[in-house]
Amino acid sequence: MKIKIKIIISLLICFAAIILGIGLGSIYISPADIFSILAYKLFSAPKSANISENYIAIVWNLRLPRTLLAFIVGGALAVSGTVMQSVLRNPLASSYTLGVSSGASVGAAFVIVTGFSIPILGIFTLPFVGLLAGLLTVYVAVKFAARMDTKMENNTIILVGMVFSLFINAILTLIMSISKEHLAQLTFWQLGSFSLKEWTDIAVLFPIVLVGITLIMRYTKEMDILTFGEEQAFSMGIDVSKLKWLLLGLAAALTGSAISFVGVIGFIDLIAPHVVRRIFGSAHSIVIPMSMLFGGAFMVICDLIARTIISPSELPVGAITALVGAPFFAYIYFSKRKVQ
Amino acid sequence: MINLKNVSASYSGINVLSGISLSVKDGENLCIVGPNGCGKTTLIKAIAGLIPSGGTITIDGKNTCKMQRAEIGKQIAVMSQISNIYFSYTVYETVLLGRYLHMKDNTFKKPSKKDLEYTESCLDAVGLSQLKNQQISSLSGGQLQRVYLARTLAQEPRIILLDEPTNHLDLRHQAGLIDFLKQWSQDKKHTVIGVLHDLNLAMRLADDILVLDNGKIAAYGKATKVISTDLLNKVYEMDVVEFMTDSLKRWEGFADNHYYANKLRIIK
Repeated sequence: MKIKIKIIISLLICFAAIILGIGLGSIYISPADIFSILAYKLFSAPKSANISENYIAIVWNLRLPRTLLAFIVGGALAVSGTVMQSVLRNPLASSYTLGVSSGASVGAAFVIVTGFSIPILGIFTLPFVGLLAGLLTVYVAVKFAARMDTKMENNTIILVGMVFSLFINAILTLIMSISKEHLAQLTFWQLGSFSLKEWTDIAVLFPIVLVGITLIMRYTKEMDILTFGEEQAFSMGIDVSKLKWLLLGLAAALTGSAISFVGVIGFIDLIAPHVVRRIFGSAHSIVIPMSMLFGGAFMVICDLIARTIISPSELPVGAITALVGAPFFAYIYFSKRKVQ
Repeated sequence: MINLKNVSASYSGINVLSGISLSVKDGENLCIVGPNGCGKTTLIKAIAGLIPSGGTITIDGKNTCKMQRAEIGKQIAVMSQISNIYFSYTVYETVLLGRYLHMKDNTFKKPSKKDLEYTESCLDAVGLSQLKNQQISSLSGGQLQRVYLARTLAQEPRIILLDEPTNHLDLRHQAGLIDFLKQWSQDKKHTVIGVLHDLNLAMRLADDILVLDNGKIAAYGKATKVISTDLLNKVYEMDVVEFMTDSLKRWEGFADNHYYANKLRIIK
């Protein structure tokens, strides 16, 4: 199948996933009503008489921001995973390998347990501190790896990242065992959720993700070359250490900012790049945007399942990404391999 | 012309290369031989600028220390050895990556018409045009080595550096690769500097031979003038000539009444 057709199909799937995400729930809202409400809100078009204010509130205030946020978070995590795997030349690498989630979790735990608040940030104190702690963990881990090994070999980075991650996880476990009154809140944050998300969350997160992915898109050729080895990249005129710092930093910022808003959601950053590479090949100029679309659509579907399967209760979306993702990933990865 | 003057290199404070001075003219090839651990790969890496080194390396009189990485990349290309492929690209995509430095300044780093045509010509040169849409993960070792050769050529370098490029290749592909490189350097008046373990292949490719021993030059110059039985025996710590004649004799039994038998008689 030609790549353009594959891209068009992917866009249609994303569109369908978003419409399903908005339409399905305890109250069903048809696609026609959704379009009518969107036209009414965005372009002040006249709305159908049968659409109640209640429907408008559900779509505009609850489901649309939640679905869009899920799409943005899924896209950011998937792109971040792609970059990590390519830069570290390791198909099992992800931002979590370098301790982003552990760092962000400790940052979030600090805010939850102490009630610390930065006046100017208000409710965004938690995501801000989470992001900062996540980035700081990656910075310290990579800096430490660079000190140990001036060539910044991938194995050193991964090993140091994992050691840091485990160390910080241990701190988190200590915090959780000491402050039992916050245990439920901390656990809930660690499992990830899109509930009660609003437009303001999107207004803050979207620009960060947009800038991050745009910057990453500038280095797709370099990432292609890097997958053939660092010496090869260096001999082709690429400043490998500088590029690694930049790309690892951007990937960590994407994951850090995403999980700071919705909690830790794993698996998507691991599977998205593999699925996309199976379908679209390895060229990063295609893999990065397609990972964003796949990750976004996949997260919207997972969130839809998480909030509807035992409605009115909600399941943690992090569990759903793994439950749905593992068999899907196995099907895509191994069925293609069998054919080859 | 590439010149090395008193080049040295060390790992963790231990000298692995010292006092290397040589010069390779355009259109000539140099092969570096010597036992394991004598500094062959280190020398290739030092020339490519992959590791810090002492002394001076100049290309047409210009010190490589004063050149930008991209500038060096347009002059010197390093042909990779076959290694693990983590993420598979098509043959065409892989070879096109060799044009990176030429398309780096284009809008969105898009390949120009010249880049696309040059890529096609490199694929043609190594006989891979038919396989250009195939994934490199599905290729044999010989085919993959040709892809890497095409990518190296796509870089449009004046000097190609090779580090044991015939690893993983069968006899036909070994000879094919060496002959191709020799022809390339003659036709374009460019240079190949290669590390080769196989002395026969080294003699086939080289105009000059550099024999390294313990990081120092044991011999350097025209092969016929500098290679001697004593030198080889000393450097490799074995009777090299005895080994080679013994290897040749082993073919007599197999090749009786055969094309090769006649060849061997002529050699004797």
